[in-house]
Formats: sequence, structure tokens, C-alpha cells
Amino acid sequence: MRTTALVLAAAAAALALPVVLDGRQLGIYVLAGLAAMVTVGLALLMGFAGQISLGQASFYAIGAYTAGLLTVNGVPPLLGLAAAPVLAAGFAAVVGIGLLRLRGHYLAFATLAMQLILLSVLAQSEWAGGAIGLQGIPRLSVGGIELDEDVHYAYLVLAGLTGTLLVARNLVASRVGRGLRALATSEVAAGASGVPVGRYRLGVFALSAAFAGLAGGIYAFYLGYLGPGSFPVLLSVEYVVMAVVGGLGTVSGGVVGAVAIVLLVQVLNDIGTRPGMPSYAPSVLSYAVYGLLLVIAVLYLPRGLVPALSRRDRS
Amino acid sequence: MHPLLRVNGLRRSFDGVFAVREVDLEVPRGELRAVIGPNGAGKSTLFNLIGGQLRPDGGEVVYDGDRIDRWPSHRRARAGIGVVFQGARVFRGMTVLENVMVGAHGVTRSGFLGAVTRAPRHRREEREILGTARECLARTGLSAWADRAVDALPLGQQRGVQLARALCGRPRLLLLDEPASGLRAAERAELAALVENLRTDGLTVLLVEHDVAFVSRLADRVTVLDLGQVIAEGTPTQVRADERVIAAYLGAEVSA
Repeated sequence: MRTTALVLAAAAAALALPVVLDGRQLGIYVLAGLAAMVTVGLALLMGFAGQISLGQASFYAIGAYTAGLLTVNGVPPLLGLAAAPVLAAGFAAVVGIGLLRLRGHYLAFATLAMQLILLSVLAQSEWAGGAIGLQGIPRLSVGGIELDEDVHYAYLVLAGLTGTLLVARNLVASRVGRGLRALATSEVAAGASGVPVGRYRLGVFALSAAFAGLAGGIYAFYLGYLGPGSFPVLLSVEYVVMAVVGGLGTVSGGVVGAVAIVLLVQVLNDIGTRPGMPSYAPSVLSYAVYGLLLVIAVLYLPRGLVPALSRRDRS
Repeated sequence: MHPLLRVNGLRRSFDGVFAVREVDLEVPRGELRAVIGPNGAGKSTLFNLIGGQLRPDGGEVVYDGDRIDRWPSHRRARAGIGVVFQGARVFRGMTVLENVMVGAHGVTRSGFLGAVTRAPRHRREEREILGTARECLARTGLSAWADRAVDALPLGQQRGVQLARALCGRPRLLLLDEPASGLRAAERAELAALVENLRTDGLTVLLVEHDVAFVSRLADRVTVLDLGQVIAEGTPTQVRADERVIAAYLGAEVSA
């Protein structure tokens, strides 16, 4: 009952906010929503299937470039948006066949390397706009109506996030979801119980990539331009921090973590860009705070915000 | 009719040391077969070679007419081989009921798409899985624990959860690795009664065990391993009288 009330309250707030926020705040809303979509997928991957990805921003980039490149070359925007999660998932499935043979730290570093390679390929590819990137991506239009205001994108992101959450929730409560949770604790016992461990690991990797790809697609239309610099490794780290802070192994944890971190980053940016602060202050602050947050989360909230809070009100 | 399980010249070594060498074994349908042997005899290796946790260096494992020694373990589970490990190989962080429901994986099929769209077929299957899982919990006497976190259970009950999980996949061959180890006397008796019961229902059971007393009461036939090789095979009484077995393993325990 209490959870339902909380979810309803959060949904009502998310629906009402775009109307009352001003321009700059709307931008933050959109970015938080996009980050939440990626993080929900990552929390599924890390929390339910026990795999770490330090390259989740690659799939975000692939989704963005897919949507951007297709529409710049005359494909209808909606089709471009639909292609974004499909291509990201396809890419994940192909690289995953090799990468997912690795475990733990090795997998984390391999996904990090994947992102570095992707970024350098993008920066050197003329068809992708090189280091300058893609410009003049048309705005998204649905049925002849062009989405050209931030408030439109706020609702588009909300719709995308809702879809992502529904998919994640349904999956977790299913046969496949149980199989994933099982293989995260014991691959041997999961295999012996009939769970096709390799296929499931690949499936959830591709699904998390699809979520990131969809978010990336929306991002491309929202911003109108893309470059390799829009997808730094720091972004991947940010997603991991969001997932850990919010709570792995919960579906809503991704949203809570993403919103908490995006708001915190805004505060830090305000401090870092005050007059008298050195020019490197914002980036140093954000790296330091991510590190600090990870340490604090692992020490004091090893299961993240959402499980910690829900346990408190049960007792 | 061919036996349900046939093992031919099976070999497996670790770092050049043979754990299992040239093992032959035939288990007819409906039999309760025990594999015994001293520590290091290769029992667990043999168990894992049949269950699919290890691949052999040579030889073959034939199950129900199919050569399965290269199959991944999930495919063997799907074919009807249920496994209960010696250690507490349960799925931590999940409830007892959820643990058992995972066992139905081999006999159900709905995938990512069905789960995400909540297709009618998927929902029907979910209800079936839930029903089967509850039956298996009842059978192993764990119904009262269904909604408890599996981590909270003592070792004996965790092994019961593994057994319920294996049964939930409707196996035809059940592999048990030292199921009685670490159990108290009363728990052993319960376990023995349950295994007896399953055999009466027509399940073929391969029981790897250290405890000779536990095996003697239950098994139709006993295979004795020593240093990775079969040194004797027969009824429990025959095996107990076999001199090589006594020399290798039983010694004082049997003569006493």
C-alpha cells in the first residue's frame, strides 16, 4: 500500500513538474530523466545479473548517433528514434559474445576499453562528423507535430522512462528475471536448474543497452547536435555511481540514484563556477564527489538508498 | 531397453593427476544407485561430469540414448537431469519459493519478450510454475518456509530447497551429491524416507555418498570408486563383503 502511494506521488510530481519549472530547470529535468533511463538498465545489469559495465555511455552514444545520423540523412525522425535502442542492443549483443566471457573487474575494464575505442573511432570518422560531431539534427516530430520546446521533451523523457520502468519491473518478476537473479548468485546452480546462463547474460546486457540507446536517441533530438565529447568516460562512471547510490537490485533505485546525483551535480556546478574558483574546479569537484559518494555508499548503504529507506519504514 | 544412464571409459584429470579414469557405469531406469568411495576417490568429479559442471577429457556419458558429455548443464537439466549439490548452492537474496521456481526453467519456455509484454501464455505459465513449486515444497516439507529468505535457513533445509528446486524441473534422473553430510540423525531419516519415496514414484536416482550406513539401507546397487576407478559393484551386501572394498575403504568400519 505504502509503496503504491509513493509511486503515485512520484508519478504525479513527475507529471506536474515540467509545467512549473523554468527553462534551465527543465533542461535539468530532461537530463535527469535520460540518466534515469540508462541507470534503470544498468541497475538491472549490475543488481539482477551481477555484471558490471563501465561503458554504459557507449550505448547512449550509439543510440544518439543512430538517431542523429539517420535523420540528418533524411530518415523520418520517429524511425530514427526507434532505431536507436535496436542498434544499441544489437551492438551490445555482438560485442557481448566476446566480452561476457569475462567476469568482475575484467568485464568492467573491457567495457571501459570498448567505450574508449568507440569514442576514438567516432572522432576519426568523417561520416560521423569527426571530432566536431553532428550538427543540425532536426527536431523530433510525431504525426506532423514538431516537438520544439523543452517541455515537450520533458514529457517525451517521462514517457520513455515509464516504458523503461515497466519493462524492467515485468522482467524482474518473471521466469527470466528469476533466472537472472539466480545466475547472479550462483552460475553453477543456475545452469543445473536449466537456466541458459550465457544467453541470459547476453540478453540482459542487450536490454540495458537498449534502454541507454533509447535515452541517447531522445538526447540527440533534444540537443540537436552531438560530438564524441558529449559521451565522456566520466558519464559511464556517473551511471555506475547513480545505480549504486540508488540501490542495485531494485527497479526504482535507478531513478532515485539518477535524480539524486543530477541534483547534486547541479549544486556542485554552482559552487565550482562561483567567481574566484579556479577553472578546473567543476571537474575536480565532480570527480572527487563521485569517488566520495561511492565510498560512502559502499560503506554505509551497501544496498543503496532505496532498500535502506524501505527497510527503515518497515521496522 | 537401453539404460537411462550409461558412462563409458570416462576420464578427467586435473593438472595431470587423474580424478576419474576409465569409469564405466550403467544405471537402469527406476534404480537407486549409490556411488561410494573414500575421500579423493573421484566421486564428486564423476558427479560433475554427469551433471555438466565439468567436461571430460575422454569417454562418453549417454543419457536416454543421447550422448550428453559436451552439453552445457542447462541443456542436461532440460533433458531431465536434476542436480542437488553438496554445498549450500541456493540463490541468496531470493525467497525459498522463488528458489524452487527457478528449478522449473527446464520445463518452461517463455522468454524476455513474453515477460516484458506479460503475454497471456506467459501469465498462464507463471501460474503453472507457482503451482508446481508449491507442490515440490510440500513434498520436501518446506511449505511453512516458502516466503522466508533462503539465506535464513539452516544447512539441512537449504539442501531441502535444492531438492525441491530439482524436483520442480520434473527430472527423470536425480543426482545427489552427499545429501546426508552435515545433517542431524532425524534429518537423515527424513531425507532417506523422501528419497525412498521418489524412487517408488519411478525416479532414477544416482546418489554419491560417503556415509556407507546411509547408502546400505537405500540403494539397489552400489558402485565403489577408489583412486578414480571402479573397484567393485553389486548389492550393498555384496559390496560390503568385497575384500578389495574393505581394503580400500571400509576396513574397520565394516568388520566392526
